[in-house]
Parts: sequence; structure tokens; C-alpha cells
Amino acid sequence: MVYLNQAATTFPKPKQVLDAVSDAIANPPQGQFRSSSASEDIFDNCRKNLGELFGVREYQNIVFTAGATAAANALFYGLDFRTGQIIVSQTEHNSILRPAMNLTEKISEGIVLPCDEMGYLEPEKLEEILSKYQDNISAVFINHCSNVTGVIQPIAKLAEICHSHGAMIIADFSQSAGCIPIKADQWDIDAFIFAGHKGLYGIQGIGGYYIKSEYSLKPFMYGGTGRDSRIIKYNSDFEYEVGTGNGPGVAALNAGVRFVLDKGVENIRLHEMNLMNYLYEGLKEIDRINIISIPKDLRGPVLSFTVDGMKTGDVAYILQNGYEITVRTGLHCAPLIHEALGTKDDGTIRVSVSYFNTKEDIKALIAAMVDITASL
Amino acid sequence: MKILDIRESRERCAESGWFAYDFILAGQVEKELILGLKPLGNLTYLPMLKKPFFKVESNYYFLKGMEKDDYIRVAVHDKHRSELEVVKTFLENFSS
Repeated sequence: MVYLNQAATTFPKPKQVLDAVSDAIANPPQGQFRSSSASEDIFDNCRKNLGELFGVREYQNIVFTAGATAAANALFYGLDFRTGQIIVSQTEHNSILRPAMNLTEKISEGIVLPCDEMGYLEPEKLEEILSKYQDNISAVFINHCSNVTGVIQPIAKLAEICHSHGAMIIADFSQSAGCIPIKADQWDIDAFIFAGHKGLYGIQGIGGYYIKSEYSLKPFMYGGTGRDSRIIKYNSDFEYEVGTGNGPGVAALNAGVRFVLDKGVENIRLHEMNLMNYLYEGLKEIDRINIISIPKDLRGPVLSFTVDGMKTGDVAYILQNGYEITVRTGLHCAPLIHEALGTKDDGTIRVSVSYFNTKEDIKALIAAMVDITASL
Repeated sequence: MKILDIRESRERCAESGWFAYDFILAGQVEKELILGLKPLGNLTYLPMLKKPFFKVESNYYFLKGMEKDDYIRVAVHDKHRSELEVVKTFLENFSS
């Protein structure tokens, strides 16, 4: 089986991750019996490693959640959007779009920042909208790497523009974390969300967010666990990780992040880009295939294409059932970007790679696509 | 053709309002069955592939699958789920 749906969930996982999950459930849970040893807590150790990966000094401000969607909702529910007006990019995933468009008691207007025909966000467009709204925008949500086309956004420049207009920038690093070097402090990112089960090689059900200390955030949920059981009503100094934490999930994430740090994000990126460039060259030669082409320096580990004369779902079905190659088709939970790509009716066929994919995997896909298109 | 089971497809993301079911068959899908599906709609048949693919489309549903597999995927639009019964009856009455 050739698995090229890494943008959804990476597979396989590094052995360290499998071992970490196994250890986490084979041993007594840490930190739940008020008499733990002095060894470092896995949650804090993971935060520290994530801080290194994301380039944030205040790694204590990383909060674990049940995934990127839960993280996004924690920010949407918890932040004070003082003006009620926010911007979301056209490339956003539904985990951002749906809270932005449905949380009407907090958000009076969700303005869409348009992208171009490959999903790229021009900084000038953002400047234009922020000026038009006379600096009344509270926050701008930007997907760092599109989960549809793989295009990487000029996030540092976008952050600079947001700040010059008094808006905070919130990045979605779900697709880029572990695949593309991230320097959140250097880029001056105010808050971000991430998924643990993609390029960080953790398991499903773990993710998180980070927010700078200068922003106050009301918790999305209240409950047990925390510093002082006697506090029932909070005025400030909230707890953000309530209830029993996902120990096996955090252990897996920690092992995955350690794997990424040990390999080096630059090395992972180099490997994945070699595969993507090879894929681009291979698919480009095939008649009937339309690649959503991204310039080399803006490419992430994701590529989308369509086939003239065939529904995307049928291509995926044939790949899966005839060639044992897994890709993904459709809108990829990012409906608005397809208006710019011209693929809103049928979506795209998406190929995404991880550190564990090989050139042989890509060759198999190209050969299958030669077969499929020749049969039409 | 005897249908052993009808299972809701594992594909959970019904992005375009279509809902898919897998019809588990008592035997393999042979060429005769594929060609016999024509009354259900427009038939696409790609016999040149490593494993031949077929698809039948009507306004309210479509069927697709691979020759020699023992199941067929049937998708119906949300508002026309009753069409599943039409497809089921047709398959059950099919004899090569």
C-alpha cells in the first residue's frame, strides 16, 4: 500500500511514537496521585520541545487540546474581539471558517481575505482591507500552509501588516508544523494552533494552541485539574487544561516532536521537497492532468490536481481499489479556496507526503496516473 | 445477484450532499454484471485498467466499483435516499 494522504494524518509513525503510547498506557499515569517523583512531567517536557519547534520562548503558554479544531474554538470563544470584526483568509480550513461564521454573538463580521489562483495571499490585499476597515479589525486568521495546494504564505510580512493596523495575527500551523521551519517569535505571531497527528507524528486527538502572554483569554471550558481545588469561581488566572489530560496523546506528541527535532525540520523539508518536485515533473508530462502549480520556493508537502474527463472521486477510487494508492479528493474541508482555484464543484485530487514516503511511492502514483489517463 | 449486506461507507465527509453505501455481494462483479447495469444510467467502463473500473450515473444516484471486487459503492443524494431501493431491487433481480 502506498499512503499519500499525509496531510490528513501521517502514517506510519516513528517507532518512538508507538513506544511512547505503549509506555504511557502500560505504566501508572503520571501526576495524578499527588505524590509524583521529581522527574520532569511529560506535558511540560512536550511544551518545551514544542517551544523549540515553533520558535517560541514562552513555551509555557502552549496549551494542549483535543486537536487543532478544539484549539481554534478555544481561541474563538476565549478572545475578546473588541470590534467584532475579524478577517479569515480564503484558504482557511472549516475549523477556522465555521467558528468565524457561526459565532455571531462574538463576531459581527467575518471578512474574507481573497487568495489568488494557487491559494497565495498577497500582502497588498491584506493591507487594502485593513485600511478599508480603518483599523477596526481585531484579528486576522492565516493558514500558514494550504492543506489544498500546499502553498506557503508570507506569514512574517502578513504579521507585520496586521500589527501596523492594530490587529492580532493568529496562524494555523496544522499543515506546516514539522514540515516547514517555523519561527513564531521572530515572525511576531500572536497566537497559533497546531494539530499533533500530521507532521508532528503524534496520534489523533491531540493538538493545541499558543498565545502571547499579553493577551487575555477566557477559558473555553471549566472543570477539574489545576492548581487549587478550592477555587470554584475564577476572576482571572484561569486554568486552560481542565479535566484529566490526554497522557498517551501528549506522550506520543512529545516523541513525535522529538523525532522531528532530532531529524531536523530542514532535513525533513528537503526530503519532502525532493519528492514533491519529482511528483510535479512526473505529473506535468501526463496529458489531461491539470496541476495547481506552485512556484518551487512556495511549495509545501501537498499538491492538488484534476483530470480532464474524470471526477476526482473516481480517480481516487481507482487509485485506492485498483492500485492500492491512497490519496484524498474533494474540497478537503476548505471550501472557499476552491472558488479561487476553479474547482468548487468537484474539488481536487490531493497528494501529500511525509518523511516516510519514498521516491518509489511517487513513481507508483505517476505510473498509475499514466494508466488511468490513457484509459480515457 | 444476492446482496449480503448494505453498509454505510466509511467515508465520513459527505462534502457535496451525497451519502455512500457499500453493497456487499455474494459473488464477484463480473463483466456481464457491469454491462448489465446500463438500464440504471450512463455507464462508464474502463476495461484497459489493471483492474477495470465502472461507474453508472443517474440524476439521483451513482454506482461505482472495480471488476472482480465483491462490493459496489452506491451513492445517493440526500434528498433521494429512497433510490437506494431501486438499485437494490435491480441488483437482486440481475442474473447473468
